[in-house]
Amino acid sequence: MSANAQPVAPASPDTKSPPALLRADGVSIQFGGLKALTDFHLSIQQGDLLGLIGPNGAGKSTAFNVLTGVYQPSQGQVLVRDTKVNGRKPHQINLLGVARTFQNIRLFRALTALDNVKVACRAQTALHQSRLGLGAKLVNAGHNYADWWKALLLTPSFQREERRLTAQAEHLLEVMGLSHRRDEEARNLPYGEQRRLEIARALGSQPRVLLLDEPAAGMNTREKADLMVLIRKLRDDFKLGVLVIEHDMKLVMGICEQITVLDHGETIARGAPAEVRSDRKVIEAYLGDSYLESHGGAA
Amino acid sequence: MQSPALPVPEAPSLVPPALRGILPLLIAIPTLALFHWSLTGSDFATYLLSVVGVNIILAVSLNIVNGMTGQFSIGHAGFMAVGAYIAGYTSLQLKEVALSFLPVSASDQVLFMLALLVGGVAAALCGFLVGLPSLRLRGDYLAIVTLGFGEIIRVFVQNTDAFGRALGLSGIPQYSSPGMVFFWVFLVVLAARRLAGSSHGRSLWAIREDEVAAEAMGVDTTGYKVRSFVFSSFFAGIAGGLFAHFVPIINPGSFTFVRSMEIVVMVVLGGLGSTTGAVVAAIFLTLLPEGMRSLFGALGTEGSLAQRVDQIRMPIYGLLLVVLMLSRPQGLFGTKEIWDVLPRWLPRKRRGLA
Amino acid sequence: MAQLLQHLINGLAAGTIYALVALGYTMVYGVLKLINFAHGDVMMVGVYMGYATAFAIGREARGSFLGIAAVFAVAMLGCALFGFLIERFAYRPLREKPRLTALITAIGISFALSYGFQLDIGFLPGASPRAFPEIIEPKEWIIIGDRDVVVWNWQVISFLIAVGLMVGLQYLVFGTRFGRAMRAVSWDHRVAALMGIPTDRVIALTFMLSSGLAAGAGLLYAIKDTSVSPLMGLYVGLKAFVAAVIGGIGHVPGAVVGALVLGLVEEFVVGYAASTWRDAVAFGFLILVLLVKPGGLFGRVAAEKV
Repeated sequence: MSANAQPVAPASPDTKSPPALLRADGVSIQFGGLKALTDFHLSIQQGDLLGLIGPNGAGKSTAFNVLTGVYQPSQGQVLVRDTKVNGRKPHQINLLGVARTFQNIRLFRALTALDNVKVACRAQTALHQSRLGLGAKLVNAGHNYADWWKALLLTPSFQREERRLTAQAEHLLEVMGLSHRRDEEARNLPYGEQRRLEIARALGSQPRVLLLDEPAAGMNTREKADLMVLIRKLRDDFKLGVLVIEHDMKLVMGICEQITVLDHGETIARGAPAEVRSDRKVIEAYLGDSYLESHGGAA
Repeated sequence: MQSPALPVPEAPSLVPPALRGILPLLIAIPTLALFHWSLTGSDFATYLLSVVGVNIILAVSLNIVNGMTGQFSIGHAGFMAVGAYIAGYTSLQLKEVALSFLPVSASDQVLFMLALLVGGVAAALCGFLVGLPSLRLRGDYLAIVTLGFGEIIRVFVQNTDAFGRALGLSGIPQYSSPGMVFFWVFLVVLAARRLAGSSHGRSLWAIREDEVAAEAMGVDTTGYKVRSFVFSSFFAGIAGGLFAHFVPIINPGSFTFVRSMEIVVMVVLGGLGSTTGAVVAAIFLTLLPEGMRSLFGALGTEGSLAQRVDQIRMPIYGLLLVVLMLSRPQGLFGTKEIWDVLPRWLPRKRRGLA
Repeated sequence: MAQLLQHLINGLAAGTIYALVALGYTMVYGVLKLINFAHGDVMMVGVYMGYATAFAIGREARGSFLGIAAVFAVAMLGCALFGFLIERFAYRPLREKPRLTALITAIGISFALSYGFQLDIGFLPGASPRAFPEIIEPKEWIIIGDRDVVVWNWQVISFLIAVGLMVGLQYLVFGTRFGRAMRAVSWDHRVAALMGIPTDRVIALTFMLSSGLAAGAGLLYAIKDTSVSPLMGLYVGLKAFVAAVIGGIGHVPGAVVGALVLGLVEEFVVGYAASTWRDAVAFGFLILVLLVKPGGLFGRVAAEKV
């Protein structure tokens, strides 16, 4: 897309490709009179590494919240592998394979690093069980209560399950380089490690799509570079589709293959990093009209 | 993902896994039996022990909702009332029944157990009903609903002939014994600790720490909240049932808002989230008035002062809460257990919630 | 028909008193997001202050207009001071702590007051209710038919006082500088402080205002009931609190509407069903409202920022 490119087209017009892991179709959301997000389109496939950028208040986190079910869209729909998930609760969407991190870190502060990850690992087990009672809420509810009994009676199968969760969580801590923090309370971890622990926790829920909300915020240049490498590696090793919100243009430009730019809730550009970088509207949004005037157009 | 590829490690423990689940029971039941037979104290000591036990059950069970899950219920006495009245009523109905194939005392205990379970299940059902509004309410509002529920139960009992209205139920067979009470104390503590260390418990802690994040990590927060209510009120119902079988009469006055607050004070003093903290605080706050009473009695000070202990107790509870919040809001132990705060030279468990 | 009218009048009269107390809950919740559980008991303390004053000035003086004014003035000012002290020493140190901490503190104060006043040590009054002096001698002002419908003078007076205080409060919140500061603090007290608003003073004044109002309401209630007791705060406070929540806590007109509705509902339950069910119905009604509208009739549930 060039500087004065056509209005942004729906992200995945090609119907022959496999269903997107996560797709937003013309999603709009309003708070009172404020349009936080307008006609938002997005499609994530396995192996994608997409960026979502925009100035403060552009609606990036709102987009995340709509995709993960925290907010309900006023218009449009969100689809996970062609299943419409409007109206579903965040935990149900998570169980369908969409995990996220938060802009302002939201760890379970009093829990150890290991337990933080185990909380998310556990959810995946719940998914398998809920499949048993598909369509029969009662069966499922009964199952939930029965599951508590297993824990209280400490049955061998329960113990085995606990060990499996521990092993899985330990593995994820190792991947994120946090093994040495295993038994530390999350609140006592340094900032950068808290960010990584959040990613480990998100991976615990065994997602197909990973949404990272400003994962590099507050990190120094070296840490950011390491993180870029790590995100790529996670995508490949865990066969994920990744969507990253980022403030740091350099980081996004460095790792993302496609970038969507939001401003005032509207998608003003989408394309490869180089295209987006030279887009007039993007420069305007980021740097203001005065920059364009003094520099005479797009860089 | 790669989870199937990860080998599940072997159990590290010496105890075979199949036995680990029931081992504490195997140890506890003979101990409790010994305790039961060796107990030849006065009626008063028996009564006091039972009251302490009932309070421990109430505090530990409330701690599951208020401490682990981070909700704030202030209507626990309501669930206790449900258990007491339903169990008491069941026992009254079954008074003439005896299981012919058992000796009388054993038959009584079986019927007693049955009545307790009926009461506990009834209370758990109420817990489910109260937990449901938590689908839509959070924080302060939930507290109000639990308070309202407690009051509704009280008024309902007061207006029901089968429950003796304001006069209460009397003549409930006195089946209870400290041995039975402490069997349930043991069960509730074991259950609470195992829950805290399990994946379900971790989900509850996660809700307490950050509900939004828990939901985003796949925890069905509403489901877990309701289940924690059900679990907690079941044991409150059991406590009520036990209570009904060792006091001469139960009436609505035993289950007022004040009673609920007493239990809240215990949980807050022990530390929201600490099971052993709840136990210690329940013992301390139950024995304190008795201690004061006998102290004043022994000192021979005016008899009125000893009698006044009960009066002074409530305002002191109130002040205790205020002072506690100002100086040590996490209570005695915070979210830790007693073995985490013991001195260094004593053997301790690995840190963490599990 | 006449019966219906009578119940309507009684319900409204009770509702106006609830409303005054409910306003206190709502104002404090507005600025601090704290359910001030001790509010009813602060009210009770104010009523005892009025009670003591009424006795101190003697039987003749208490019937005169000045006497009545003195009783109200002492109770309301004394209670305002009391509210100030509680805020200063119990709530302010906890302002940046989790909200639960302050809630537990409030419950503790409520307990300490309502049960402390039941002791008969020193100046404390003891548990038994006491007859409240008839500072407004009851008169039947309006009688329709053969005593089919009776309106008492105290009903009219308390209605007028309550309405007057509510109008004044509405003006204070929406028509004065202090009110603007209050609303700013309510929005976000940290930001308000950055904008140069003396938040501590605003919050303290709000507490004083709500406590003073409560004392006034409590006196009206005591006059109606012709008695005072240490537990009246717990009882009236709980009802007023329910009213505030029904209206949507934090919402000033909502508290008034909620209180009037609750007063009417209770009156009709007593009139047409059984008085023993009154408390259960009040709470049942509350739970019903919360289930249908989780934020109360006029309140909104703020979405948590993620």
